[in-house]
Amino acid sequence: MADETAAPAAPPHDSRRETMAYVIGVAGWIVPGLGHALMKMWGRAVMCFLTVGLLVILGAGMRGNLFSSGGNDAFDSLGYLADLGTGTFYLVARSLEANGADVSHAGGDYGTRFLATAGVLNLLAALHAYEAARGRKA
Amino acid sequence: MNPGMGIKLSHLQSMLLFALLISIAFGFLSRRRPIDRVKYIVWSLFLFLLIGVGIGWAMYPFSR
Repeated sequence: MADETAAPAAPPHDSRRETMAYVIGVAGWIVPGLGHALMKMWGRAVMCFLTVGLLVILGAGMRGNLFSSGGNDAFDSLGYLADLGTGTFYLVARSLEANGADVSHAGGDYGTRFLATAGVLNLLAALHAYEAARGRKA
Repeated sequence: MNPGMGIKLSHLQSMLLFALLISIAFGFLSRRRPIDRVKYIVWSLFLFLLIGVGIGWAMYPFSR
Protein backbone atom coordinates (compact mmCIF):
# COMPACT_ATOMS: atom_id res chain seq x y z
CA MET A 1 0.00 0.00 0.00
CA ALA A 2 1.36 3.37 -0.92
CA ASP A 3 2.23 5.80 1.85
CA GLU A 4 -0.16 8.70 1.31
CA THR A 5 1.61 10.97 3.80
CA ALA A 6 4.86 10.95 1.85
CA ALA A 7 5.48 13.95 -0.37
CA PRO A 8 5.16 13.14 -4.06
CA ALA A 9 8.35 13.15 -6.06
CA ALA A 10 8.89 16.39 -7.94
CA PRO A 11 8.16 16.07 -11.63
CA PRO A 12 11.17 16.37 -13.95
CA HIS A 13 9.79 19.65 -15.34
CA ASP A 14 10.13 21.36 -11.92
CA SER A 15 13.67 20.05 -11.53
CA ARG A 16 14.65 21.54 -14.89
CA ARG A 17 13.00 24.81 -14.01
CA GLU A 18 14.90 24.93 -10.73
CA THR A 19 18.20 24.32 -12.54
CA MET A 20 17.40 27.08 -15.01
CA ALA A 21 16.55 29.40 -12.12
CA TYR A 22 19.99 28.75 -10.59
CA VAL A 23 21.68 29.40 -13.95
CA ILE A 24 19.73 32.65 -14.35
CA GLY A 25 20.59 33.75 -10.81
CA VAL A 26 24.30 33.08 -11.27
CA ALA A 27 24.28 34.75 -14.71
CA GLY A 28 22.64 37.81 -13.16
CA TRP A 29 25.39 37.93 -10.55
CA ILE A 30 28.28 37.51 -13.00
CA VAL A 31 27.00 40.12 -15.47
CA PRO A 32 24.54 42.64 -13.97
CA GLY A 33 21.21 42.43 -15.82
CA LEU A 34 22.01 39.20 -17.68
CA GLY A 35 19.62 37.18 -15.51
CA HIS A 36 16.70 39.40 -16.44
CA ALA A 37 17.84 39.55 -20.08
CA LEU A 38 17.71 35.73 -20.27
CA MET A 39 14.04 35.98 -19.26
CA LYS A 40 13.42 38.76 -21.79
CA MET A 41 12.77 41.34 -19.07
CA TRP A 42 14.59 43.96 -21.10
CA GLY A 43 13.72 47.06 -19.06
CA ARG A 44 14.94 45.53 -15.83
CA ALA A 45 18.01 44.08 -17.53
CA VAL A 46 19.10 47.42 -18.96
CA MET A 47 18.40 49.28 -15.73
CA CYS A 48 20.33 46.75 -13.61
CA PHE A 49 23.28 46.97 -15.96
CA LEU A 50 23.26 50.77 -16.06
CA THR A 51 22.70 51.44 -12.36
CA VAL A 52 25.26 48.89 -11.16
CA GLY A 53 27.70 50.02 -13.85
CA LEU A 54 27.29 53.70 -13.00
CA LEU A 55 27.72 53.03 -9.28
CA VAL A 56 30.93 51.09 -9.98
CA ILE A 57 32.33 53.75 -12.33
CA LEU A 58 31.48 56.55 -9.90
CA GLY A 59 32.78 54.62 -6.89
CA ALA A 60 36.07 53.78 -8.60
CA GLY A 61 36.32 57.29 -10.05
CA MET A 62 35.93 58.76 -6.57
CA ARG A 63 38.76 56.42 -5.51
CA GLY A 64 36.67 54.44 -3.08
CA ASN A 65 38.15 51.49 -1.22
CA LEU A 66 37.77 48.29 -3.24
CA PHE A 67 38.32 45.51 -0.71
CA SER A 68 40.45 42.48 -1.47
CA SER A 69 40.43 38.93 -0.08
CA GLY A 70 43.22 39.56 2.43
CA GLY A 71 41.16 41.66 4.82
CA ASN A 72 42.35 42.50 8.33
CA ASP A 73 39.01 42.31 10.12
CA ALA A 74 35.36 41.32 9.73
CA PHE A 75 34.42 44.67 8.19
CA ASP A 76 37.03 44.23 5.45
CA SER A 77 35.68 40.74 4.75
CA LEU A 78 32.10 42.02 4.60
CA GLY A 79 33.21 44.81 2.30
CA TYR A 80 34.95 42.26 0.08
CA LEU A 81 31.76 40.17 -0.10
CA ALA A 82 29.74 43.27 -0.98
CA ASP A 83 32.25 44.30 -3.66
CA LEU A 84 32.26 40.77 -5.10
CA GLY A 85 28.51 41.15 -5.58
CA THR A 86 29.18 43.24 -8.67
CA GLY A 87 30.45 40.11 -10.44
CA THR A 88 32.70 40.91 -13.39
CA PHE A 89 32.35 44.62 -12.66
CA TYR A 90 34.68 44.01 -9.71
CA LEU A 91 37.46 43.57 -12.26
CA VAL A 92 36.33 46.73 -14.06
CA ALA A 93 36.57 48.66 -10.80
CA ARG A 94 40.03 47.17 -10.18
CA SER A 95 41.24 48.31 -13.58
CA LEU A 96 39.76 51.79 -13.12
CA GLU A 97 41.49 52.22 -9.77
CA ALA A 98 44.99 52.10 -11.19
CA ASN A 99 46.32 54.41 -8.47
CA GLY A 100 44.54 52.66 -5.63
CA ALA A 101 42.00 53.98 -3.14
CA ASP A 102 42.19 57.36 -1.44
CA VAL A 103 39.84 57.64 1.53
CA SER A 104 41.63 60.62 3.06
CA HIS A 105 38.79 62.84 1.83
CA ALA A 106 34.99 62.52 1.87
CA GLY A 107 34.83 61.67 -1.85
CA GLY A 108 36.83 58.49 -1.36
CA ASP A 109 34.62 57.47 1.52
CA TYR A 110 31.52 58.02 -0.61
CA GLY A 111 33.19 55.98 -3.36
CA THR A 112 33.58 53.04 -0.97
CA ARG A 113 29.82 53.16 -0.25
CA PHE A 114 29.01 53.42 -3.96
CA LEU A 115 31.06 50.29 -4.71
CA ALA A 116 29.56 48.28 -1.86
CA THR A 117 26.04 49.40 -2.78
CA ALA A 118 26.60 48.38 -6.40
CA GLY A 119 27.48 44.87 -5.22
CA VAL A 120 24.55 44.50 -2.84
CA LEU A 121 22.17 45.94 -5.44
CA ASN A 122 23.40 43.43 -8.03
CA LEU A 123 22.94 40.56 -5.58
CA LEU A 124 19.38 41.77 -4.96
CA ALA A 125 18.74 41.93 -8.71
CA ALA A 126 20.20 38.43 -9.22
CA LEU A 127 17.97 37.10 -6.42
CA HIS A 128 14.98 38.81 -8.04
CA ALA A 129 15.82 37.17 -11.38
CA TYR A 130 16.17 33.78 -9.64
CA GLU A 131 12.79 34.15 -7.94
CA ALA A 132 11.15 35.30 -11.16
CA ALA A 133 12.60 32.28 -12.99
CA ARG A 134 11.06 30.02 -10.35
CA GLY A 135 7.72 31.71 -11.03
CA ARG A 136 7.35 33.17 -7.59
CA LYS A 137 7.15 36.82 -8.57
CA ALA A 138 7.94 39.13 -11.43
CA MET B 1 37.94 59.88 -17.36
CA ASN B 2 41.36 59.93 -15.79
CA PRO B 3 41.14 57.51 -12.84
CA GLY B 4 44.25 58.99 -11.32
CA MET B 5 42.62 62.37 -10.88
CA GLY B 6 39.35 61.01 -9.51
CA ILE B 7 35.83 62.36 -9.74
CA LYS B 8 35.20 65.33 -7.48
CA LEU B 9 31.65 65.54 -6.14
CA SER B 10 30.25 67.56 -3.27
CA HIS B 11 28.35 65.90 -0.42
CA LEU B 12 25.02 67.00 -1.90
CA GLN B 13 25.91 65.83 -5.42
CA SER B 14 27.01 62.44 -4.08
CA MET B 15 23.81 62.05 -2.10
CA LEU B 16 21.64 63.10 -5.06
CA LEU B 17 23.37 60.69 -7.45
CA PHE B 18 23.23 57.83 -4.95
CA ALA B 19 19.54 58.42 -4.16
CA LEU B 20 18.61 58.74 -7.84
CA LEU B 21 20.40 55.57 -8.96
CA ILE B 22 19.07 53.45 -6.10
CA SER B 23 15.54 54.78 -6.52
CA ILE B 24 15.57 53.94 -10.24
CA ALA B 25 16.88 50.43 -9.55
CA PHE B 26 14.30 49.79 -6.83
CA GLY B 27 11.51 51.19 -8.99
CA PHE B 28 12.34 48.91 -11.91
CA LEU B 29 12.82 45.83 -9.73
CA SER B 30 9.74 46.18 -7.59
CA ARG B 31 7.11 47.50 -10.02
CA ARG B 32 6.02 46.29 -13.43
CA ARG B 33 3.81 49.02 -14.94
CA PRO B 34 5.64 52.18 -16.11
CA ILE B 35 3.35 54.56 -14.22
CA ASP B 36 3.82 52.58 -11.01
CA ARG B 37 7.58 52.65 -11.56
CA VAL B 38 7.61 56.42 -11.98
CA LYS B 39 5.51 56.90 -8.84
CA TYR B 40 7.77 54.57 -6.86
CA ILE B 41 10.96 56.26 -8.11
CA VAL B 42 9.69 59.76 -7.28
CA TRP B 43 8.44 58.73 -3.84
CA SER B 44 11.61 56.78 -3.02
CA LEU B 45 13.84 59.65 -4.18
CA PHE B 46 11.85 62.11 -2.08
CA LEU B 47 12.17 59.93 1.02
CA PHE B 48 15.92 59.38 0.44
CA LEU B 49 16.50 63.13 0.25
CA LEU B 50 14.15 63.98 3.12
CA ILE B 51 15.78 61.45 5.46
CA GLY B 52 19.31 62.36 4.30
CA VAL B 53 18.81 66.10 4.82
CA GLY B 54 16.90 65.40 8.06
CA ILE B 55 19.76 63.34 9.51
CA GLY B 56 22.20 66.04 8.39
CA TRP B 57 20.30 68.70 10.30
CA ALA B 58 19.86 66.38 13.31
CA MET B 59 23.68 66.07 13.51
CA TYR B 60 24.27 69.80 13.06
CA PRO B 61 24.18 70.73 16.80
CA PHE B 62 26.98 68.20 17.48
CA SER B 63 29.24 69.40 14.67
CA ARG B 64 30.98 72.13 16.68
